[in-house]
Amino acid sequence: MKALKDIASYALQALENAGADQAQCVVAHGKTREFTIDGGEINLIRTLFENQVSLKAIKDGKKGTITINKFGKADIDKAARDCMDAAEAGVRDEAVCIAELTENADFRTGAEKEDMDGLYDRIAEYLQTVKSDYPKIILEQVIAEYSEADQVFMNTNGVCHTTHHGGYYFNTMFSAHEGENATSFNYCDAQFNDLTLPIIERGMQRELYERSQMELDAERLPEKFTGKILVAPICLGDFISMALGNFISDTSLIDGTSPWKNALGQKVASEKLTISMSPLDARMAGGERISGDGYVSENYDIIKDGVLKDFGLSEYAAKKTGNRRGKNTSSCMVIKNGDTPLQQMIQGIDKGLLVYRFSGGQPAVNGDFSGVAKNSFYIEDGKIKHAVTETMISGNLASMLREVVSLSQETVEDGSSSLPYALFDGITVSC
Amino acid sequence: MLSDHIGGLFPSGGAHTEIRAQNTESVKISVVGGNLVANAASETGGVCARVYQNGSWGFAACADYDEAGVKAVLREAAQNSLFLDKKLQKGKQPLPLSTPYQAAEPAPSPVIPRKMYIDFAMELDDYLAKTYPKLTGRRVVITSEKFEKLLYATNGTKAYTVAPRVYVYVFLSAETKDGETLELFEVLDGGHGYFPDYFTAPSKYYEIIEKLYQELMDKTEGIFPEAGTADVILAPSLSGMLAHEAVGHTVEADMVTGGSVAGHCLGKEVASPLVNMVDFAHTALGQSTPLPIFVDDEGTLCEDEVLIRDGVLVGYMNNLESSVRYEMKPRGNARAFAFSDEPLIRMRNTAILPGKDKLEDMIASIDNGYYLTRTGNGQADTTGEFMFGINMGYEIKNGKLGRALRDTTISGVAFDMLKTVSMLSDDLVWESSGYCGKKQPMPVGIGGPAVKCRVSIGGQ
Repeated sequence: MKALKDIASYALQALENAGADQAQCVVAHGKTREFTIDGGEINLIRTLFENQVSLKAIKDGKKGTITINKFGKADIDKAARDCMDAAEAGVRDEAVCIAELTENADFRTGAEKEDMDGLYDRIAEYLQTVKSDYPKIILEQVIAEYSEADQVFMNTNGVCHTTHHGGYYFNTMFSAHEGENATSFNYCDAQFNDLTLPIIERGMQRELYERSQMELDAERLPEKFTGKILVAPICLGDFISMALGNFISDTSLIDGTSPWKNALGQKVASEKLTISMSPLDARMAGGERISGDGYVSENYDIIKDGVLKDFGLSEYAAKKTGNRRGKNTSSCMVIKNGDTPLQQMIQGIDKGLLVYRFSGGQPAVNGDFSGVAKNSFYIEDGKIKHAVTETMISGNLASMLREVVSLSQETVEDGSSSLPYALFDGITVSC
Repeated sequence: MLSDHIGGLFPSGGAHTEIRAQNTESVKISVVGGNLVANAASETGGVCARVYQNGSWGFAACADYDEAGVKAVLREAAQNSLFLDKKLQKGKQPLPLSTPYQAAEPAPSPVIPRKMYIDFAMELDDYLAKTYPKLTGRRVVITSEKFEKLLYATNGTKAYTVAPRVYVYVFLSAETKDGETLELFEVLDGGHGYFPDYFTAPSKYYEIIEKLYQELMDKTEGIFPEAGTADVILAPSLSGMLAHEAVGHTVEADMVTGGSVAGHCLGKEVASPLVNMVDFAHTALGQSTPLPIFVDDEGTLCEDEVLIRDGVLVGYMNNLESSVRYEMKPRGNARAFAFSDEPLIRMRNTAILPGKDKLEDMIASIDNGYYLTRTGNGQADTTGEFMFGINMGYEIKNGKLGRALRDTTISGVAFDMLKTVSMLSDDLVWESSGYCGKKQPMPVGIGGPAVKCRVSIGGQ
C-alpha cells in the first residue's frame, strides 16, 4: 500500500505543480483470475494485472478529470498536464469540489488470498450438479473469478483513505432445451468471500433452473388483463434500479426532469416499501467502504416506509441542487422484507403474472415503461398454472411503487443485495 | 504510437498464440441544462497474450507494455492454458491457420484540444436554450474514442490498426399538458474518424434539431398505441437494430453452441424471400461501412459474412475455434474491446439489405398500423425473441400518418417476424453510435432499409 500512497502523493504534487487549486487522485492496483465456461465447457483462464490512476483538478472553479493505467512518473506528469488543460478549457461552476477532510480510514475486507484450485473444484462441482439435477439446462456462458485490489483515495484537503478487498464473483447465463424446443435465457450472479458453499447454492439459482425447465411447456397468456404481477427478487432489483435511475439520479435532478424533484420528505411509495443502500450490511460480500466522492461509506435509506428520505446524489449534484449528498455510491440495495410467506402471496392472487426477468426499453422520463415479461408464469386462482410466451407488461414506475400489495417474508441474498418477492397491482399484461 | 516490443519475442511455430498491444483513448463531454457536468478523458493501454493448448485457452494482460510486460503475459497465458489442459485433457487438434493480414503503422493521429469539444457543446447548448424556451430539459453529449492496436498472430498477421470514432448527441425534454416529462434524442452526426472530420459549426445541425424539436412537440400531444399485434413500418434505424439484436446474436457461433434457435435453422427458410442480411467487414454496396474493420483480434483477415440469402439462413459468424466445430471459414469476427479483454465472436457492420419499395408507398399500403421511427435500445434472446424500446412513431390510418406515439415497446420472435416482411425500402441507412453488450462492450455498425412487417406492440 505504501507504494500506491507514494504514487498518489506524487500525482497530487504534479497537479499542484501544474497549477491546480484543488486536486484529487485515486490510485489502484489489482489482480483478477477468471474462468470462462462456454456451452457448459471450461474454456479459458484469464489473468489481469490492472492499474488505475484517476486524477481530478479544479482551477478557478473549473474541473478536469482524466484516468490512465500507468504508474510511471512521466505518464503521471503528462496526465496531470492533460488534466489541467481540461480544467482550463472548462466552465466555471461553484458546485465543483473535492471531499472535505473528516476522518481518514483504512479498510481490509473479504478473502485474504486466492484459491484457484479450490475455485476450479467448485466450478467442476457446479457443472456436474447442474447436469445431474437439471438435465435440460444448457449453461450458455459462465464466468467465475477471484479478484483483489488495493486502492488509495487522496486529495489536497488531507483526505487519505486506503482499501484492500479480495473476493469471488460468479455469473451464469442459461436456458432449458428439449429437442428443438428452447426457453428464453435467464441469468444471475453472486459475490462471495469464501468457497465454503457450493456455487449452486448462491443466490436463487436452484429456483431459476427449475423454473427454466418448466418453461419448456410454456403457453400463450389466456387474455390481456390489468392487475397483479409478482416480481421475483432477481427482477425486483432491476425494476427498482430503473425507477431510481429515473427519479433520483444526478442528471434528472440537475436538469429538473425528475417527477420527485420536490418530494423529499414526502410519501412517494407504499408505506410497505423501505429501500436502503447498505454496503456495510453483513450480507454484502464486497460492500463499498469509500464512496466515489471520497467519504467513508455509510448505509442510508432512500425510501423509508414509503417516504422519500434521500436522493442519493453525488456531492456535485447535491451542491448543484441544494440537497445533501448520498452517504455511499454503492448499488448494495436492501429492500425490507414483508410479513407474508411467498406461498400465501401466490395463493392470494386470482389472476396475475410471476415475473423473473424484464426485457424492456429505457423507461420514459415520467416512469412509463413497457417490455417483455421473460421467464414468467401465469397465476390463476392462487396457483402457478404455466409459463407464458411473448407476454408484455406495461405501467408506470412511480404508480407501481405506490401499488405494493405485499412483500414476502423470504429474501434472496446474492452478496450485493437482499431482496424479497414483491406483489404490485395496476400493471397491464398483454399478449 | 505503439512501439514494437512484440516482434522479437513472438514465438515461431507451436500452439496458436496472439499478442496484442493496445491503447484506448476516450473523451466524454456532457452539458446538462447549461452545466458542464462531465469533462473527462481516459487513456488506458497495455499488452495481452492468448495461447491455445489442445482445446484449452490461457490469457493474460498487464498495463506495462514493454519487453518485460510482453514476456510476463506470454508466460502467464501459457501457464493458464497448461493449467486447464492438465485438468481437462480435451486433446483437441491445433487451430487452423486463417488468412493473415499485414498493415504497417499509419499516419499519426491528430491531437484534438479539449476546448474544441467544450466550446462546441456549450455553443450548441446556448442555441437550444435561446431557441426553444418551451424545453424543460436539455443535454448535449460528445463522445470520442480511439482504439490503437498492434497485433501479432501465429498465422503470420502483423497488423497496426487505428480505429477512431466520434459522436454528438442532443437530448430534449418537454412537458405534456398534464405535466408529464417526455424526452427525445438524436445523434447529430459522427462515425469513423475524428471530431474535426465531422463537426465544424453547431449551425450545421440546426435543421436536424428543429426536426427533433417538432417531433418532441408532436409527442407531447401523442397517444399510446393499442397493445397487441399490428402492421408496422420500421424506420431504417429500427431495422438495423432488428438485424443486430433479433438475428445477429442468434447466429454468433458461440451462441449457437450455447443453444440458440439458429442451431436448428441452418439451410432453412427463416425469413421472407425478400430478406437478405450480411455482416459486412469494411465495404458495403460499394461504400465504406460506418466502422470498417480489416483484421480481427485472432489475426484473421476480415471478409463479409452472408447470414441470410433470399430468406434462407446460410451462415454463422465464427472465431477460429467455432469455425472448426461448424466447418465454416472464419471471416474475422473475433473482436476484443480493451487490451485486457480476450476476443469474442462479435458482429461488425450488420445490415438487412435494401429492397425496391418507396417509403411513401409502404405507408400508403397500411390501413391501420404504425410508423415507428426512433429506438433507444433493444435486447434479444437466444430463442430469437426480441424487444426494442420505441421513442417515437406515428399511427397510420388509411394509408396516411396520424397522431404521434408516446414511448412504447415492440417485440416478436425474429424468425417468425421476418417471415411477415412484405416490403423493403430502396435505401440503406447506417448507425454506429452505440455499443453492443456481450461480456465486453463493442462498437458496431447496424443498418437497413425501412421494413414493413407485423410485430407485437405494447400499449400503456
